[in-house]
Amino acid sequence: MKNLGSKLTLVIAGVFIFFPIYAATEFSFRTGATHSHGFAAYRWIFEQSGFLENLGITLRITALAVILNLAIMVPTVTWLHLSGQRYKRLIEILTILPLIIPVVALATGAQLSMPGFMQNSVYELSFMYVVVAMPYTYRALDIGLSGHPLSTLTNAARNLGASWLKALTSVVIPTIRPSVLAALFLMIALSLGEFTLAQLLHWTTFPVWVTNVSQQNVMGATALGMGSLFFAWILLFAFSFIGGRNSSTVQEEE
Amino acid sequence: MNPSTNSNVDVKGALVKKGAFHGFFTSFPLPLAPIFIFLLFFFLWPITALTGNAFKSNEGAFTFSNITMLFQDPYRMAFKNSISLGLISALVGAIPGLAIAIAIEKQGSRTLKKFISSISGVLANTGGVPLAFMFLAAFGPAGLVITALKSVGIDLYGLGFNLFSFTGLIIVYAYFQIPIMVIVITPALTSLRKEWKDSAASLGASRFQYWLKVGIPILMPSFIACYLLLFASAFSAFATARAMTVGNIALVPLQIGSLVDGNVTINQANLGYALAFGMIVVSLFAMIPYIWIQSRTSKWQNR
Repeated sequence: MKNLGSKLTLVIAGVFIFFPIYAATEFSFRTGATHSHGFAAYRWIFEQSGFLENLGITLRITALAVILNLAIMVPTVTWLHLSGQRYKRLIEILTILPLIIPVVALATGAQLSMPGFMQNSVYELSFMYVVVAMPYTYRALDIGLSGHPLSTLTNAARNLGASWLKALTSVVIPTIRPSVLAALFLMIALSLGEFTLAQLLHWTTFPVWVTNVSQQNVMGATALGMGSLFFAWILLFAFSFIGGRNSSTVQEEE
Repeated sequence: MNPSTNSNVDVKGALVKKGAFHGFFTSFPLPLAPIFIFLLFFFLWPITALTGNAFKSNEGAFTFSNITMLFQDPYRMAFKNSISLGLISALVGAIPGLAIAIAIEKQGSRTLKKFISSISGVLANTGGVPLAFMFLAAFGPAGLVITALKSVGIDLYGLGFNLFSFTGLIIVYAYFQIPIMVIVITPALTSLRKEWKDSAASLGASRFQYWLKVGIPILMPSFIACYLLLFASAFSAFATARAMTVGNIALVPLQIGSLVDGNVTINQANLGYALAFGMIVVSLFAMIPYIWIQSRTSKWQNR
């Protein structure tokens, strides 16, 4: 009885999640008023100017956001776990603060505060994305590292005669890799679809471009919307698959 | 790439020159400097700048007139709409989200949990035009559900349903609110230990009594915290609101968008910042209790 109830809940949730995807996909393959199907709407996408250019911009912004996230968050969280436990509480509170401020408000503030040379570069968005993703990326890294006694593992490696470099490459990095990938997953998911900051800071990224061209052609816009969703989903699933494989390798190594 | 390196050097230089934070940073461990500079430059400074401008007249003098404007229509109306949208949408996301999270816990297979957590992470970030077109294809005037119901004699739009309305917005928001709820409530559910259920049962409690005396009291703080998070999420949603409304519903994020996009006369420039400041204040009312509850419950949940 109770299993029936929970199965029913999951089925209803599945219908609510997948039906709009199905409806929009079916709609995007329609050609004209008759119910025949084809790729006309998808061909329309490639005829629009700026498709590859804006996709490229979004991918480059995402890449920089990932690099910044790696460079700032990973050393910080690793250090907090290895020798900065005293400061953990402080950083926990600081990193959750971006959640308090609506992105719309943060964007208007960034308009005022960003110095000119950054306002002239689309990559200012990468910096803002790292901040907006911080509540999630910090927690992903922190939870991942909390599961492993990192300082004990490192001390054990040192006691067994490993050099610091050896301890870093064969203990610390394999241990934190799954949580680093989880954090990067969140970072990529956010930057690929982000619209608010890009729009309010007057940049045309891929999501902004999709919004602009969607006003011209309903069918084409549906195809574009679904195409961009599937592109993001495939990228993210591929990424979580790599993440999953790596985490299982780590478990085997342990 | 160049702006990135330049900016950090510039900020560091500026900080040292100013000297205001110098003592702070020397007493502070160096490994934390990068994250501090980053938050200072890309978080604290924008907020300080917008707060300052919210209290400035166009001539740059201090004034409350932008803030008093928030209590007059159309801005008062927009705040009322956005807050009720947040309150209702949070409930519409929280209850099914909790039910789904409980169902997943009961079904309990590892692969299902992993699949749901990946898919929730992806869906929680779905919004804007793609989401709007998904619902247009399903529940729009020519959508699959609407035409199917019409063919069996039910005309939903004739009965007053409209996707581009307040109700429609709540239905569309549920698409990302429910996955967010599943993500944030699951840790609280996993912390409900099986031993508690067993010990309650061995002491003679029924399933109903277990939930009444143990389950609900333990889950309640987390549920309230997640509700507040969902409120903030719907209250400040911009991309989806922009794609779903055609100027027929006044919402604060959209008003800010049109004010800072420069569609209005220049003498209202600081009004946009005042609206943004107002949003931060409303958001603080939800998020400070959220952070407080989360930090209290995570102390024992993560053990």
